[in-house]
Amino acid sequence: MTLDAEHCITCGDVAVTGKVVEVDGATATVEVDGARERVGIELVEPVAVGELLLCHAGIALEKVAP
Amino acid sequence: MKYVDEFRSGELARTLVHELDGLVEPGRTLKIMEVCGGHTHAIYKHGLEDLVPPEIDFVHGPGCPVCVIPMGRVDDAIALAERPEVIFTTFGDMMRVPGGCGSLLEAKARGADVRMVYSPLDALELARRNPDREVIFFAIGFETTAPATAITLLRARADGVKNFSAFCNHVTIGPPLKAILDSPGLQLDAFIAPGHVSTVVGTRPYDFIARDYGKPVVVTAFEPIDILHATVMLARQLREGRCEVENQYTRVVRRDGNPRALAVLEETMELRDTFEWRGLGWIEGSALKLRPAFAEWDAEARFELPGARIEDPKACQCGEVLTGAIKPWECKVFGTACTPERPIGTCMVSSEGACAAYYNYGRLAKRRDRVTA
Repeated sequence: MTLDAEHCITCGDVAVTGKVVEVDGATATVEVDGARERVGIELVEPVAVGELLLCHAGIALEKVAP
Repeated sequence: MKYVDEFRSGELARTLVHELDGLVEPGRTLKIMEVCGGHTHAIYKHGLEDLVPPEIDFVHGPGCPVCVIPMGRVDDAIALAERPEVIFTTFGDMMRVPGGCGSLLEAKARGADVRMVYSPLDALELARRNPDREVIFFAIGFETTAPATAITLLRARADGVKNFSAFCNHVTIGPPLKAILDSPGLQLDAFIAPGHVSTVVGTRPYDFIARDYGKPVVVTAFEPIDILHATVMLARQLREGRCEVENQYTRVVRRDGNPRALAVLEETMELRDTFEWRGLGWIEGSALKLRPAFAEWDAEARFELPGARIEDPKACQCGEVLTGAIKPWECKVFGTACTPERPIGTCMVSSEGACAAYYNYGRLAKRRDRVTA
């Protein structure tokens, strides 16, 4: 998932919403605007394909209400 | 952009601004502190300051973790990075932050093995691939970023990865807000609280602001409609004489946060007695360190650090900017000696810093011309 250059990753407030396209153990692949990223899902399990996750620094922080 | 466009609607913005016009008292300024640098950035990126009534004064708070890191901790990071056996990993934002002896970027130019990562999990992977090197992650950020560090530490322990460690500089959101509320002479009417920190900690940590200090709080997200909506909610509370913690970001934030994220933080980290914040000084219980059970993965326990305290450059007024005492353009060196290309203070380095937001979006002067949504 790409962040534009004007954003700061250290500040967790640039977390982005991604849609789950695949789940593999404690890791899910999410899609944001066509880009895919693997994120740890320990904090939001169980996760199903199609769910929306708020992702930051390689982990999913929370499920997003559709 | 999916999940975003609906929160950038001009029509909704017009409705909210109209509502806000009816809630403010002409001539009575409402000072609203947006705690988080992400909000500051969004306010200027989307020109919200020019949309809202002139009675609304956005005051920029200390919620940019890059901006509040003291120079001595940057020097500690550089000392770690310059060890020959170390691969030092960091989010890109920290690369240009000046310490007393330069920045990580300059250390890299001198030959230190400094690498940018997107996630601490990437640093852990780097450790797996380089078993003969020590991989250190510069762990920094509020409670939003700290769970990623915690998950990485738990995975490192579970997988027995011994050549990974974290240099922990994670900070907490509540104590600096209390420090600001206790600072003499500061007049604030209300707070916009950070959205994604609250995803982890919930809204309870802000209760004391409403209960003990009588200031309304609204937790909100980062799109322009979110921020305008939060401003309306705060103006309505003030108008109706209410003082509560309200949640505008209900699509993600829950009252109790994410208990599992809090549990992994509790398992891996504990509060420091005190920690130095740039501009705010030493604040009790305001930062996290690794628990002794994770000493094997704690760079502070494993490596010797200079640990020096470095005074901020005299010309730099980041401290006053971070506490909302002055606007960025009021700083002596703003836009002249201090620019994003050659920053003196951290508020100009970080893209979420108030000074960088002002500079990048052309807020170089005091004058505000109201525009129509």
